[in-house]
Amino acid sequence: MERRIILPGEKIAEGRLGAPNTYYDGAVTYAAVIGMVDDEGRYIPLENRYRPVVGDVVVGMVTDVRHAGYEVELNLPHGGFIPTRDIRLTLQLGDFVICRVKTVNEVGDVDLGEVRRLPKGKIIEFPSAKVPRLIGKKSSMIGMLKDYTGGDIMVGNNGYVWMSEKSDMPLLLKAIAMIERKAHKSGLTDEIANFLKSQVGDKPRTPTGGETGEGVESVGEEGETGAEPGYKNEQSESGSSGENYGQQ
Amino acid sequence: MNNTLAKGVRFDGRKFDEYRPISVQKGVIKTAEGSAMGKIGETLVLVATKIDIVKPFSDRPREGVLVTNSELLPLASPGFEPGPPNEDSIEVARVVDRALRSAECVDLSSFFVEEEKVLGIYVDLYVMNHAGNFTDAATLAATAALMDTKMPKVENGKIIRGEYTGMLNPTKLPTTTTMIKVGDNWLVDPSRDEERVLETALTIGTTEEHVCAMQKGKGSLSKDELLAAIDIAFKRGDDIRRILKD
Amino acid sequence: MASSESKVPLIINGKRTDGRDMEDLRNLRIEVGVIPEADGSAFIEWGGNKIVCGVYGPRECIPRHGASPYHALIKCRYMMSPFASLEEHSRSGPSRRSTELSKVIREAFENLILADKFPNTQIDVYIDVLQADGGTRTASVAVAAVALANAGIPMKDMVSAVAVGKAGGMLALDLNKIEDNFGQSDMPLAMSHRDRKLLLVQMDGLLTRDEVMRILDMAERGCDKVHEVQAEALKRFYEKGEGETVKW
Repeated sequence: MERRIILPGEKIAEGRLGAPNTYYDGAVTYAAVIGMVDDEGRYIPLENRYRPVVGDVVVGMVTDVRHAGYEVELNLPHGGFIPTRDIRLTLQLGDFVICRVKTVNEVGDVDLGEVRRLPKGKIIEFPSAKVPRLIGKKSSMIGMLKDYTGGDIMVGNNGYVWMSEKSDMPLLLKAIAMIERKAHKSGLTDEIANFLKSQVGDKPRTPTGGETGEGVESVGEEGETGAEPGYKNEQSESGSSGENYGQQ
Repeated sequence: MNNTLAKGVRFDGRKFDEYRPISVQKGVIKTAEGSAMGKIGETLVLVATKIDIVKPFSDRPREGVLVTNSELLPLASPGFEPGPPNEDSIEVARVVDRALRSAECVDLSSFFVEEEKVLGIYVDLYVMNHAGNFTDAATLAATAALMDTKMPKVENGKIIRGEYTGMLNPTKLPTTTTMIKVGDNWLVDPSRDEERVLETALTIGTTEEHVCAMQKGKGSLSKDELLAAIDIAFKRGDDIRRILKD
Repeated sequence: MASSESKVPLIINGKRTDGRDMEDLRNLRIEVGVIPEADGSAFIEWGGNKIVCGVYGPRECIPRHGASPYHALIKCRYMMSPFASLEEHSRSGPSRRSTELSKVIREAFENLILADKFPNTQIDVYIDVLQADGGTRTASVAVAAVALANAGIPMKDMVSAVAVGKAGGMLALDLNKIEDNFGQSDMPLAMSHRDRKLLLVQMDGLLTRDEVMRILDMAERGCDKVHEVQAEALKRFYEKGEGETVKW
């Protein structure tokens, strides 16, 4: 099937297609945001506004410490909240965290759980519509980026990407910018692989100790030891977060 | 509410194309050149006209000037607040202005006084009680105020206050008809309650022969629905014109 | 406007002052993503109009007490620059005209944007007319639709807009400034692309019912042409993958 751009309001399926960023009028499903139809006929959004869904993995920064818990900036109109009762370790202003969305109420307030503090590094914003491409099929893209840039990377569905200070950041940022720009092109993984190889040679710089070698610190209620990282960005490429918009 | 409406009945018992009682009193403000209090149901709008000597617009040096302003007086509704005009206030002034201007009911070319001096007519809309559809009440009162307007005597480039040379005599009587769409039907003259639940609102200005203004508010409509609304606006406009001529 | 109809000849030998036929659009060009800081943006050059639109949000509602727990507030600000016309430098800031146009443009988009997905937020649509040549409100709708698509704001449909008026006694599509100033009537319209609903309707001057009927048909055909340019601009932007230098 030919790849083509789809505008908001274009029909993508008869009947209800429970896909993110679509609109269902009772008979037909339409695109609600600009997107494309890929080689296999799937509708892939090219832009969207992130809307949290229970179970999403999100990356954020602690912006307020209160008695009841922590406010976390998540690239949303309102911050998410980590109730103190759900975590044992103390977080500090400016800490980077990766969490799972536990609840979203009807006005969009987000409560977070399964909190882990991330080591020193940097957070960048990446279009949430393109997050599945950054992760790649079976985490192929993200795995390759880690291998070639030598540091850990955590991608939130909310579009925040944390990267370890141990990464080759200039290279990583260049590669991520390429992925953002070419997210809707086919053969992207190969293109990025070629780019990375051209920069660092064939030999990946796998960080020692595996992908959590830097000790992503679990402060969650499950009391994990940290041996099992818990977040591997295992969303499949097509399984981006978000709900479809339609009749309720 | 929509269930009731589906049966073709409105809460106040009116038919879909029926206005609340309409009346108008002219000449209520003696300090103005013309005035009228328009009443549709409980909605009250006072319009007064004042005529001054003003500078013409540079691109129309020999034409008079028509200026329409509105005040949604805070006493008129618990929802109105003091302060600079909000968008509803500006919109009603501009819609009424468009209806009066397009209908050419004031012959502005007769307003020339001398080089750099023309007559300017100020049409001030005062919404006094807002029980829904102040737009149509404002147009009603504005047209009536123009019918009531006396032309001041001008001597040596100055207005002699209190002396008049005759009446303005508007040649056309523009009216507006505001409608809201409920299902497939247009309801004319929405009450305050109906305005609160409206999905689509439309105001159409008419003269005897022409559409002279249109303004969609909230919502959407099809081409056919617009044409149906024009038919209603002509009918109801003629009703209002009869009241104006009484 | 009607009182000066005879002073300026608007139709000469069946052609309009700028050489167009009655149903020709002026030159129309749209560029996407011209304001990189904005969540979405677009620029339109339509005849002598140059208008830029930037979209932000959904973001936190300011003031907070104005927020709705049911939907995002759509805030639209249409502004005319003080240097936008050949006449003297005009006052900056909102005028009565711009306040009204902001309202009717907002009321067009309120029909399309799936605002109930973003409670307690606002979506800002900033429209700045840099150069004006008649038909700025319809050009504003056309450019804002593209900017909203670029921002990934979910919408039920796309919208196009065009004005049809009466100039020199004949109905004419897409009035220019002279026709607008000296023609007999002007009817700006916006129409959704898929379901053909009128989303903006205004009119001044004098028209018969029959003329309105013909105007609606002309406008519908005109909107289809405008839609093609909108769609082409978006496709170009996303297929290209990165912004070229914008010609302002």
